[in-house]
Amino acid sequence: MSQNEQSKISLGSLIKPSRVLVAEAYPDKKQLIEALVKTVCKDYAQLDSADVASQVLKREEGISTTLDTGLSIPHARLEELTDFAAAMAVLRTPLRDAAGDLSIRVMFLFLSPAKPAFFQKHLQILSALAEKFKPEFIEELVSLKSAEEIAARLAR
Amino acid sequence: MKNASDTSSGLSRVKKVVVLTTAMLTFIPFWKAAAVVLCDFGSSAFYAGGIAMRAFGPSFPWYILAVMLFSGLLLMLELEACSLFVRGGAYKIVREGMGDTAAKLAASALIFDFILTGPISAVTAGHYLCGLINSFLELASVGVELPESAVSVVFGLLVTGYFWRQNVKGIEESSSKSAKIIAFSLAVSFLLAIWSFITIALRGAHMPPTSLQFSAESLGWAANIDWMQTIGLVGMMMAFGHSVLALSGIETLSQVYREIEYPKAINLKKAAWLIFVFALLFTGGLTFLSAVIIPPELIATKYNDNLLAGLAMSMAGPNILKLLMQAMIVVCGVAMLSGAVNTSLIGSNSLMNRIAEDGILTDWFRKIHRRYGTSYHIIHVIAAVQLAVILISRGNVYLLGEAYAFGVMWCFVFEVSAIIRLRWKKAAHKRDFMFPLNVKYENYYIPVGLILLCGFLVSIACVNLFTKQIATVAGLGFTAFLFAVFSLSERLNAKRANTMFEEGYRERINAETVDDLKEAFSELECPHRILVAVKDPENLYHLEEVLSKANAEETDVIVLYCKPVENVLYRQDMRSAAVDEHEVFTAVIFLAEKYGLPVTPVLVHSNDAYYAIAQAAAVADAEEVVMGVSGRHGANPQIERAVMTWGAVKERELKHPVTLRILWEGREVSYRFTR
Repeated sequence: MSQNEQSKISLGSLIKPSRVLVAEAYPDKKQLIEALVKTVCKDYAQLDSADVASQVLKREEGISTTLDTGLSIPHARLEELTDFAAAMAVLRTPLRDAAGDLSIRVMFLFLSPAKPAFFQKHLQILSALAEKFKPEFIEELVSLKSAEEIAARLAR
Repeated sequence: MKNASDTSSGLSRVKKVVVLTTAMLTFIPFWKAAAVVLCDFGSSAFYAGGIAMRAFGPSFPWYILAVMLFSGLLLMLELEACSLFVRGGAYKIVREGMGDTAAKLAASALIFDFILTGPISAVTAGHYLCGLINSFLELASVGVELPESAVSVVFGLLVTGYFWRQNVKGIEESSSKSAKIIAFSLAVSFLLAIWSFITIALRGAHMPPTSLQFSAESLGWAANIDWMQTIGLVGMMMAFGHSVLALSGIETLSQVYREIEYPKAINLKKAAWLIFVFALLFTGGLTFLSAVIIPPELIATKYNDNLLAGLAMSMAGPNILKLLMQAMIVVCGVAMLSGAVNTSLIGSNSLMNRIAEDGILTDWFRKIHRRYGTSYHIIHVIAAVQLAVILISRGNVYLLGEAYAFGVMWCFVFEVSAIIRLRWKKAAHKRDFMFPLNVKYENYYIPVGLILLCGFLVSIACVNLFTKQIATVAGLGFTAFLFAVFSLSERLNAKRANTMFEEGYRERINAETVDDLKEAFSELECPHRILVAVKDPENLYHLEEVLSKANAEETDVIVLYCKPVENVLYRQDMRSAAVDEHEVFTAVIFLAEKYGLPVTPVLVHSNDAYYAIAQAAAVADAEEVVMGVSGRHGANPQIERAVMTWGAVKERELKHPVTLRILWEGREVSYRFTR
């Protein structure tokens, strides 16, 4: 199975409609991250949303995870996880990422298990996300009306 | 100027691409390096014998042979000097070992000899050429004889003028030309040797005497010191001192060391062996055969300035063949001696550059030619002085020879003293080669061999002070003058010099802005490519790792430095990354030289280094992208960002897998893109 195929399967299985947040606008990046973290943590009893948000935001203080395509991939590697987890937000009005002077149209929160064995896969998914979410694809997602449509488009 | 990326919109793109060039990024095999040295060092075969004959009589071949054997010790000295990898040859070694004043004195003395090497070679070449023309005229019974001295002056001026211009333009592939000249010289000397043995077999031979017959002028001030003439050993040292001009050009080895390819230490040893054997057979052997075959009275009169031509014309055989042989010798001599003129310009230019870099000379001297990228002001000054010396000499090779050897001897004295001192100062430094005869004491190697060599060099240099009057007066005068110039300009530039000292050595680099990344990599030819991203000159472990393992014949190493764009808003984490590119690339070039591997340095202006790296790697079709670890962020966030950027930049399927590696001491994080 090729890396591409593996990644496609991963992305599709990572996002279900309940993990998609569609919003007209969001006041700031921090609040959006916290909202997405809460969305994921609902499905994982072992995760404490405040702790996860804190780890993701700490990672954000380092090298920016926002790309100039309009995709932001805040992420963290968590000891509590045994598999990958994700949530995404699609914004009708772009959110300004002050750190990089960039606009965020889609935010894909991505959480990975901290075990070293998962690191290569973690990188593979990050790369695949960046490759998939090109400006045209992001425009298409923004034009979709509901979380279901977005999840379906992503799984396609 | 086009933006390097036309494929995507957004801010994070390469804004400007600059390809950096410097003379020191191509490397040569050991035999080419040996050829470069031999074009200078070997050329003394054409004049050393004649000058020595005039100084102390027919025993000269023994001393020329002795000097050639002695050159083996000096080559070993150079091997240890080079193994310290103190860039900048004897000047920097002396500076490192003995301090600024000694270094300035050594450099002043060495420049004196560099300046003389050009004229002595050019004028000698003129004598050989004129001798050949006169032989033809004689054969044709024209009844006209060209004045050798006048012709040699004109020829010397033309050759020096030619290389002056070539050096300003920046001569390319000089090592290839040198190799061809040396190959031709080898063939000619082989023929000459065979014919000499046939001549000896037919006519018999007389071994040169060992007794010394000093002329009044060659005794110099020693003529007034009785004891110097009565002690046999002193006489031998005087004769040796008059023969050391045969060493002319040996110091070139430390200049070409930078250019020798990987594995550097092994190749340097091979080059030194090749130089030693060739010089011994070519200079020593042919000079000896000349003394055996040419009658001494003809050497003293007719063939004093063109000894090897005399050897050809004294062979047994028909005149037309002898003339043909003479013609071949002249071609070989003119090529080698002209090469020596070129090397003297290159050597003195390089030495002056090292001095200028230390803030001793003003930046005017290091000004780079806008079109050719050469330090043309220095070349102008050196060439002008050489032309003046040729005119002053009036074509007298003996006069030039008598002036020579002051600088090279005293420079070697300083150099060997510095290397002895460095055995203590840099005791922990790993040396690929150590001059023989050492006694281990605790952590030190006491350099018994070097101390003996130093003693011998000091003795010869001191004896020369008495016997070689012209060299002493002119050498001391020139050295004192140049030392005063250095000291004065250093004092005048004190503030500037201090700034430069704090900043350290900086490679002179030419920056050529190109339209896009594709153009920047258009000259890459190897089947494999590695892109190494650099940022901090103090953090080049990853580059060193790549250079220590790369195969220059199969892999192009691209070194990319992404400079944040100044006039646009750029990423927060990039703001601290703006390092002076000269500082970065000076460190890069130093490593490239250390490993003898060529690199292609490219500077890009970008508001996102990761984008720039990914774009450059894609355009260069690199199979590996190597980065150093960031002390601020750590390797994992770096590689995460890199793979995200790679995905964002990627437009199509990969032709081959690409491995992204982040290296730091003993550790590595990597990711392999397989499509």
